[in-house]
Amino acid sequence: MSTEIFGIENVNVWVDGLIRVLLIVGFMTVVVMGLIYGERKILARFQQRLGPTRTGPMGLLQSVADALKLVGKEDLRPRNADPWTFELAPYLVFVPVFLGFVIVPFVLDWQIRILELGLLYFVAITGVNIVGWIMAGWGSDNRYAMIGGMRAAAQGISYELPLVLALVSVAMVVEVPLADGEVARGSLNLNEIVASQHEVPNIVWQPLVVVVFFIAGLAELNRTPFDIPVGESEVVGGPFVEYSGIRWSMFFLAEYAALLIMSLLFAAVFLGGWAWPAGIFTDEDWPRWAQALLVAGKASIFVFMVFWVRASVPRLRIDQLMGFSWKILLPLMLAQVMVNGLVLVYDWPEIILTVVGLIGIVALFAMVDRAVRQPRQRPASAAQLQSEAV
Amino acid sequence: MKGILKSMMVTASTFARKPVTREYPESHRELPERDRAFPLLLWDEDINEPFCTGCHACERACPVECMTVIMKDNPNHTAHDGPSKRRKIIDSFYIDYGRCMRCNICVEVCNFEAIAMNNTWQGHETSVYDRSDLVMDLPQLLAESKAGEIQEWVAE
Amino acid sequence: MVVEAPSEFETQDLLINVGPQHPSTHGVFRMVLEIDGEVVKDLVPYIGYLHRGAEKLCENNDFRQGIGYMDRTEYLAAHNAELSYVMAVEALGEIEVPERAQWIRMILCELNRISSHFMFLGAFGIDVGVFGTPFIYAWRERETIIDLFEEISGDRMMYAYFRAGGLAWEVPANFENRVREVLASAQQGVKDFDGLLTENEIFIARTKGVGFISAEDAIEMGMSGPTIRASGVPLDIRKTEPYLFYDQLDFEPITANGGDVFDRYIVRLQEISQSIDLIGQCLERLQPGPITPERMPRMLRLPEGEAYIRTEAPRGEYGVYMVSKGGNKPHRLKVRSACLSNLQALKQMSVGQYVADAIIILGSIDIVLSEVDR
Repeated sequence: MSTEIFGIENVNVWVDGLIRVLLIVGFMTVVVMGLIYGERKILARFQQRLGPTRTGPMGLLQSVADALKLVGKEDLRPRNADPWTFELAPYLVFVPVFLGFVIVPFVLDWQIRILELGLLYFVAITGVNIVGWIMAGWGSDNRYAMIGGMRAAAQGISYELPLVLALVSVAMVVEVPLADGEVARGSLNLNEIVASQHEVPNIVWQPLVVVVFFIAGLAELNRTPFDIPVGESEVVGGPFVEYSGIRWSMFFLAEYAALLIMSLLFAAVFLGGWAWPAGIFTDEDWPRWAQALLVAGKASIFVFMVFWVRASVPRLRIDQLMGFSWKILLPLMLAQVMVNGLVLVYDWPEIILTVVGLIGIVALFAMVDRAVRQPRQRPASAAQLQSEAV
Repeated sequence: MKGILKSMMVTASTFARKPVTREYPESHRELPERDRAFPLLLWDEDINEPFCTGCHACERACPVECMTVIMKDNPNHTAHDGPSKRRKIIDSFYIDYGRCMRCNICVEVCNFEAIAMNNTWQGHETSVYDRSDLVMDLPQLLAESKAGEIQEWVAE
Repeated sequence: MVVEAPSEFETQDLLINVGPQHPSTHGVFRMVLEIDGEVVKDLVPYIGYLHRGAEKLCENNDFRQGIGYMDRTEYLAAHNAELSYVMAVEALGEIEVPERAQWIRMILCELNRISSHFMFLGAFGIDVGVFGTPFIYAWRERETIIDLFEEISGDRMMYAYFRAGGLAWEVPANFENRVREVLASAQQGVKDFDGLLTENEIFIARTKGVGFISAEDAIEMGMSGPTIRASGVPLDIRKTEPYLFYDQLDFEPITANGGDVFDRYIVRLQEISQSIDLIGQCLERLQPGPITPERMPRMLRLPEGEAYIRTEAPRGEYGVYMVSKGGNKPHRLKVRSACLSNLQALKQMSVGQYVADAIIILGSIDIVLSEVDR
């Protein structure tokens, strides 16, 4: 089979796929290093200080210096570490993230493959890196790593559900114009999701879903306030405490690559991607490079919000984190899916979605407030232990 | 969640302020005149000899015993047709900057106003590669005052 | 909530060593936690990593040389440490201190209280998990205060400025203006911290109800300072046994009812505002005058006797017990350290809580290891 790429006709499909993969991988590495530098600079500005300034002009080569340092480190291996799990864990964290880049829509036709089940593929693939975390934690033969790995797994699994339901509630109401002029509803194809937003982005119809996607995304990325596996004072590195050098840098890169994917997905699904306000399939389109810049701008909004939250908010404890997901986010998302379904079936005007979404945000605030103000639940054995301690 | 939004507003307001970082070593902060780095000996320019006569007052007063003082007869004394009124003069003076705790007592007990705390940046930038290089001898202690770079502050 | 494991599983308790090197900046303190899942069952603290023999060294140094050592026993609030020592010497020698010196001493001690509480806020923010913002804010505020101290005494942390009978030398001419500038900046810093942490829901969820100690237990353990005031006991040495001129100032000890970590944080935050107010009152009463008594001997010799003087340091009751047998050196100097007494309650506060809480509780007691170990 043959297809065309960049105007060259009759290119073998496999070669075409390979070229796209190489382009994306190259692009991604550079952007991830830029993200690391950007995070340090932006966090520094939030703290009223300068970030890196000495390596290269304005510190731009800081990521390169870090990468060189990590590559040059000694490759340590604990003597009692289980060989298979310890060695394979970085790959199981790193590779699914890269595979997730397959479906990310940069601009129309500028992606590796357009999959009909794009969103499902994305959700399935990002679930695999939880296995990698557990393997890293268990294979390290270190009790702190094990604690960190178990906590990471619990957190990752708990926050998958609100994330998936958020994406589902958007995918449900997407309008797909069919060939005969009819409109079908519901699609997992990312291109169609983006294209359906050419007049109004999804953030207007689903405000609650945007908030929940942001929070669940922070948890999936293991970022503050959910960075218990990697940032706690007593489990300093979490599951990665025994890794050094290149293997640790693979974890680190995977985290930032996941951040990049999540932000591009956010731009595509909620903010209109390359379609709003640029238009699709018409002659008054914006040129491709302008659309790419538009997508980059929207993705960087998400990235900036992630850094902003990191600079401002303390860390949650593991039981509070689980409670927040299962008791607050999940019920809200189930309610949202039901409302979306009702609007879909009974053909109600879409403004109801906005109103319900805003009410949902108010409900979220109220539920969090109530959960914080109620008296704290102590572990069951606390009273007995305390009386013994005196 | 309102509290979290309030925290984010505070962080955003800091984003807009000017960073407080000073890029050392390109730019140095101006030191106040009372700044107290390590002790130095002062040079009497009129007669071209140190003020210090080696009377051991500072050596006895030092809490950490970081000084070693040896005096000698002054060859420049008026008895030998010289311009100086000091009968004795300092022969060798060692201060171990690694032990000194910069408490200022040596300055307070000195009868001749011969020792002062260095209030310039050179007093603070005393890094060496070998710890024994921190023991300063008489020429090193007199160097800055001889060059006229010291404006010592005297407490009233 | 923790689910109790069913009894047919055989589980083992884990011993975790929170070692002398901390990611959070408390100094070299070690504790061994015995945890069951996530719940702390036992806690054993180990101290002594910073012991330098300060009390013994002071026996070989006379009453002026010892001031440098007292600075170093509490480096974050050095003026308060020097104050206790110098007041003990004055009590033994019956030396009259002129008024101006007393007011300036009060201003400097309160400024040191502000800078020490800012340091607590910064380190506590890191313990709770905010990445670095409170720490940088704290240091930004401390810089202004420490710059002022450098203009007065010459040093940024180990001042050696107080002497028996008054001060070492006069403050610079623009002292009052500089102090007012510093107070304005400190007020802005308090506002920043208040907005950043106090109403933050995650912060409240992390700190409310954690590390509770009741007023009776706290009194039995001999705690003092903001730690005990947060449990509801209005014990403030500046009010109960006024020293310097605190009886002429108008203030009330700040207390809170909860006795948990959040209350300790709030008490310290409000104490910064109270200190700003107290310094304002002191500046109004400051008059020109001498700063040392008229006839001070060159080498101070004290008659035989003993004295115990306690003052309200930022961390609690910092006491100096001095025994003199004539001569110019103390025969025995003992420092009653506030942090060591407060640290005794750590086990009782932490047992039965989660591991993450144990770190926060340690941070909320606000220890500085040089005072615990001397």
